[in-house]
Amino acid sequence: MADYSAPVPVPGKNMGKADARIEGREKVTGATVYASDAPVANPTFAYLITASVGRGKIRKFDLAEAKALPGVVAIFTHENVPKRADAEFFSDGGWVNTSFDPMESAEVRFAGQIIGVVIAETYEIARDAAHRVVVDYAPAEPSASLLSHGTETVDAAKVAKGWKDKEAGNFDKAWAAAAVKLEAGYATPTQHHNPIELFTTTVAWHGDELTIYEPSQFVWGLKNGVAKQLGIDPEKVMVVNPFVGGAFGSKGIMTQRTGIIAAIAREIRRPVKLVPTRTQGFYVSTYRAETRHAIKLGADKSGRLTALSHDGWELTSRSDDYKVGGTEATTQMYAIPNVTSKVHIVRADRQTPGFMRSPPEVPYMFALECAIDEMAEKCGIDPVEFRRINDTMKSPVSGEKFTSRHLVECFDAASTAFGWSKRNPKVGSMRDGDWLVGYGCAATCYPANTMAATARVRLSPDGSARVQIAAHDVGTGATTVMGQIVAEAFDIPLSKVTVEMGDTRLPPGPVAGGSQTTASGGSAVKAACDKVIARFGNRLPSGPALEAAFKKMNTGVVEEYAEWAPPKSTGGVAKLYTGRMSGAEGEEKPLLAYAYGAEFVEVHIHSRTKEIRVPRITGAFAGGRIMNPRTARSQLMGGLIWGISSALHEATEIDEKRARYVNDNIAEYLIPVNADIRSVEVILVPEVDDQIPMGAKGLGELGNVGTNAAVANAVYHATGQRIRELPITIDKLIV
Amino acid sequence: MIDGNETGFSRRTFLASGTVATAAVPLAAQAKGRTMDQAAAVRAETGVPITLRINGGNHRVTVDPRTTLLDTLRERLGLTGAKKGCDQGQCGACTVHVDGRATLSCLTLAVAAQGRDITTIEGLAAADGTLHPMQAAFVDNDAFQCGYCTPGQIMSAIAIVHDGHANDANTIREAMSGNLCRCAAYPNIVAAIEQAAVQMKRG
Repeated sequence: MADYSAPVPVPGKNMGKADARIEGREKVTGATVYASDAPVANPTFAYLITASVGRGKIRKFDLAEAKALPGVVAIFTHENVPKRADAEFFSDGGWVNTSFDPMESAEVRFAGQIIGVVIAETYEIARDAAHRVVVDYAPAEPSASLLSHGTETVDAAKVAKGWKDKEAGNFDKAWAAAAVKLEAGYATPTQHHNPIELFTTTVAWHGDELTIYEPSQFVWGLKNGVAKQLGIDPEKVMVVNPFVGGAFGSKGIMTQRTGIIAAIAREIRRPVKLVPTRTQGFYVSTYRAETRHAIKLGADKSGRLTALSHDGWELTSRSDDYKVGGTEATTQMYAIPNVTSKVHIVRADRQTPGFMRSPPEVPYMFALECAIDEMAEKCGIDPVEFRRINDTMKSPVSGEKFTSRHLVECFDAASTAFGWSKRNPKVGSMRDGDWLVGYGCAATCYPANTMAATARVRLSPDGSARVQIAAHDVGTGATTVMGQIVAEAFDIPLSKVTVEMGDTRLPPGPVAGGSQTTASGGSAVKAACDKVIARFGNRLPSGPALEAAFKKMNTGVVEEYAEWAPPKSTGGVAKLYTGRMSGAEGEEKPLLAYAYGAEFVEVHIHSRTKEIRVPRITGAFAGGRIMNPRTARSQLMGGLIWGISSALHEATEIDEKRARYVNDNIAEYLIPVNADIRSVEVILVPEVDDQIPMGAKGLGELGNVGTNAAVANAVYHATGQRIRELPITIDKLIV
Repeated sequence: MIDGNETGFSRRTFLASGTVATAAVPLAAQAKGRTMDQAAAVRAETGVPITLRINGGNHRVTVDPRTTLLDTLRERLGLTGAKKGCDQGQCGACTVHVDGRATLSCLTLAVAAQGRDITTIEGLAAADGTLHPMQAAFVDNDAFQCGYCTPGQIMSAIAIVHDGHANDANTIREAMSGNLCRCAAYPNIVAAIEQAAVQMKRG
């Protein structure tokens, strides 16, 4: 048996090589050029002025003292910032993560809104000047959060493009007839991504051409969106960002800051470097909004689920109807024939939320997987067995078959490795000295998404190759995986492959979101490799024979460009070149493909202080073909730790009166430190799926979906307390 | 990667020092197509000339007294390996060695680092490119994902080995808890330090 917890696992069935990251040497020597590392000549430095009220109007700015500082180049407010065109909310077919231009007028719609920009010769002067700006507001009372007075609730089905609430069978009838019933409510808090790299922007104009250095999960989106805002040809905009210092969704859809900074740089005719503070980052980009859930589950006497009702309430801004809609996952998770569901959107005075690692699944699956655990207990059935009884190979909503599903196999592998059989099912029965011990488990799932992608591949006579694709490496190992696909196609060592990514001079790749880079970008790379091989009559020679073949063809290199789009889709590549999210118009009918997993957690809770520790966690995952077991394990391990973090640590606290984030820094916004994490075991369950592109389902967001519920279920096992609101903190256990 | 800022700056500082007045009207100067480094002019007026000893070499630079060691390394000397993650001593991404001790360069003023021996991530590998055992161990154990916190992690990791806090996994976890990794490579970071600690003791 493989050693699951070894940092470098042994490749198993349907897996590629466990190659080390191509860029490893660069990253450990400090040579990797992240966006704010890129040098520009004679830069100015920008410092943001942000709104200190949650709603209202700016009566006036007093800039006199700030302007008097030597070295201040200019100060921009809504009164003098260059106008930009509306690049529209991304899910309405545009590019930006909010349609609201924060510097368009004197209106303040949310706390932390960018209301001014100081430009100075040095960072220190810009910061000093920004703090000398006096803003006179006419404040109004904001509605801060989901339960605040003055919010507005609307049905997602009425306002969110393409959204339909999932229904199946006859819920009312099945609920009335159910022998065992559960009704429960769950809640998840606001969370912020907090990548360690800040939301920096460096821009430089060369004549009418603009170069942007900014961390981005979608450089072609940023290129086209900024071009739209500035009214220039996208051909004139270049985005350079070979590596991203963490993103987790926060750098996927462009923010309003880039257009503002680029327009200012054009006006002052100098390059501008912006490094917002950690605190400003809480408002400049997006966040995972708080949600609430009402669940009803019904089962017959044998423990077969017969009815599910799932209502979700999600917070959004006044400006944009952002929704995550996780009922897509929860209504198709088990063999439940009678389903009703509804997603409600609640508009409040906050900035527009956005994607954060597994955006729909994290909150919605927390609710479902806790409810499943509660239901298993009510039915007197072991939670693993309960999931086996209610497993399904097809969607109960559409009747369509999943391309593959190995959820039960994941539960078997993880429960064996974890030692689930040692669990005494009686609540509060297991102890270790002063510590209560609890075992809990939950299922995890994530859809196998795809979008259009293009790539260019070059082969040289010496058997070296180069692949170019404007896909993105946010730490996933995508650079290495793209290289491996080429190495495998040409049967050459990985060391002979050069990979170029994250740059709009390259053919557009998919957004690094939705865990789709391997399947989508990889398919384009593979298609380009196949076209290269076709030039050699579909049999690629090696060594001296390859050199001879090039001579015979009378050419120096063979280079091919390829486009790839998901099966049954239309217009994806054209849309990709415009930098908009493919599939936004709902033309595609994607395959019903999900990756699944099972997560088992042991918690220790001190009997007196209620301190909570997680000494170990085991996850088993079936995600189709594993391109690189080393980077795959790291992604899933990071996901599991994200899950522990979400369950026990993370919450952005909101000041109800002022609609501001209270703990808006990385010391008070809690994430695990090294000492919080003990044993993390990742099991890669072999799975072959020939129907999906590359046979790979994507792993980046699979790991952290089920963990919240697994921890909550373990806490219940240890204490007998069902904590239905995240995060699970000491105060909630002391009653 | 290094754009010759240091030498270029010194030259420009000298030239600019006689034309301080242009700093007050930088837009006008720019509009006339002048390319002089206006920042240099401002610094010449308000800055403090200092010498920093970094990775064995001396660097002369004129800084605003409020400038941190981190911003001096990154914005003035082209040494961008140390990273800004919070600028207030919370994340550890800016960790460098000052006289052999792990130090948060975002909480250290550049003027206070004069006369000290500063080592950054760029100064770890041997001249022939051979990686420090800690750097090699981070690659071997996949102890990073996005890599942004990695320079700080490695600088702290070397320091805890020297300080005798890397004797077992528990002390490593505790001693490394000042360096946040949002990708959460923590178990692999512990494995890397365990590997490198043995080699460093031998070496």
